[in-house]
Amino acid sequence: MNTQLQDDLEPTVRIRKLERDRVNFVLGNVDLAFANSLRRVMMADIPTVAIDMVEIEINTTVLPDEFIAHRLGMVPLNSSNCDEAIRYTRDCTCLAGCSFCAMMLVLNISCHDDNTLDVTSDHLEVIPYPVTEDEHMPIHDDPGEEMSKRGPYFGHPVGKDDPDARPVLIAKIRKGQELKIRCIAKKGIAKEHAKFSPCSAVSFEYDPYNKLRHTTYWYETDIKAEWPLSENAREEEAPRDDEPFDFNAKPNKFYFEVETDGSLGPQEVVMKGLAELQNKLASLVLGLKSGADLDIPEPVHGHMAEQVWDGGNAAGMGWNPPAVASTSWTAATVASSSPGRGGAASNGWSQNNDSPMGGGWGAAPAANAGWGSPNPRANGWNM
Amino acid sequence: MNAPARHESYVLEDGEKPVELIEDTKIPNAATIKIVKQDHTLGNMLRAQLLSMPQILFAGYKVPHPLHPYFIIKIQTDGTVTPQEILEQACTKLIGTLSSLETKFRREFSYKDMESSGAGAVTSHVEDPYGTNSGAWGRGREYLDF
Repeated sequence: MNTQLQDDLEPTVRIRKLERDRVNFVLGNVDLAFANSLRRVMMADIPTVAIDMVEIEINTTVLPDEFIAHRLGMVPLNSSNCDEAIRYTRDCTCLAGCSFCAMMLVLNISCHDDNTLDVTSDHLEVIPYPVTEDEHMPIHDDPGEEMSKRGPYFGHPVGKDDPDARPVLIAKIRKGQELKIRCIAKKGIAKEHAKFSPCSAVSFEYDPYNKLRHTTYWYETDIKAEWPLSENAREEEAPRDDEPFDFNAKPNKFYFEVETDGSLGPQEVVMKGLAELQNKLASLVLGLKSGADLDIPEPVHGHMAEQVWDGGNAAGMGWNPPAVASTSWTAATVASSSPGRGGAASNGWSQNNDSPMGGGWGAAPAANAGWGSPNPRANGWNM
Repeated sequence: MNAPARHESYVLEDGEKPVELIEDTKIPNAATIKIVKQDHTLGNMLRAQLLSMPQILFAGYKVPHPLHPYFIIKIQTDGTVTPQEILEQACTKLIGTLSSLETKFRREFSYKDMESSGAGAVTSHVEDPYGTNSGAWGRGREYLDF
């Protein structure tokens, strides 16, 4: 009973290499599904901040606005302690963004030189978030402690404060060209947009000799000579030539390498990943327990799950109003750095045709300000 | 334009219940549990944990449609516990595994921190990946498009 044996053993972990931006570790005595869940959660469920809205005042470069907006969105920003240091805009009391749920960065550069100028992430400056009009309401009653949780470089482009790190190239401009841009960075997770992922790569391997036959390799002549054995094979015993196939065997040793983009350190990514998985399970247990007594919304719920579970805040403000309407800036162009937000309606979300709103794509109810979408709850989703 | 907000696929809406239990009328000790705003990350892990428990006769999960943010998990037990209870046990057990793993990771990280402190692994400057900025164009000339 291989499974029984495996369950009785405690999981093990051995870090093989820890660097500033990566960690390599071996996970033992756990299930394949468990290891995979850890991988998935590290890639997609850890919040970071990234530039989400871009207002371009002047762009006389050769690159179109959308191009630059997209590049800005991809710039990793320092997001350590993101859980406590910043809110999701959908959970915030403000309308479209305030100092508690957004960061502002400006890029203001022009070339007056005969040489090509590289505009890089180092030219992005974090400025204090301006007090907007909608901030007069609840924000003063709510002295959030987010600010005190931020480190000195929170929200800064990664590597800006390190002379040895090379910045991210945004554009190249020649004499007479200029860029004047304001960016709003928000908190999000990679399920919303991949730019929020703290991981640039997570490698995951088990069974380097393919003893379990979970894969088959195509080969030309000699399978042994052409077999792409990885470094991890040294950790395991090579199968003998006459070894029969063990159909009860289960993978038991998992080789991870978590590489981050710098927005979070590798240690933070792994620890947050484990915590996030526990949160998911805890809120499921809570949901199971409260399932019996109906109609009682669990008060602890949001707390347990650290905001991820908070339903949208009052009046469905989770919908970002279009950026143009929300500001008084004289922006020449407003481009969004995440596709599918305010762009053309090229979306892959299916709508249930049986729903009462069926086929009502442009027929928004008047209450749904700004967005021509039917009420999200009537979409025929999981109701 | 009228795309639903991205977070709708992973954040519970106001008053939305995270779990829905449908008891099976045709199979004894079986239930289908719908878990909303969760995906394979939780589903597969739970399924695997359930299958390793001796009281389980059947456990399986599916995400019926990739655009519908929920999964359903079907559980049949041998009658000593209800499917609901065993799912709860599975969750608790997984949380236990995760927190023991967390302690181990914390210890490993602190060892590694001590090892590497002072060794400051900073990668040295290599050459410019975007090409070097040598050779100004049209030096000393005026530009029409200036």
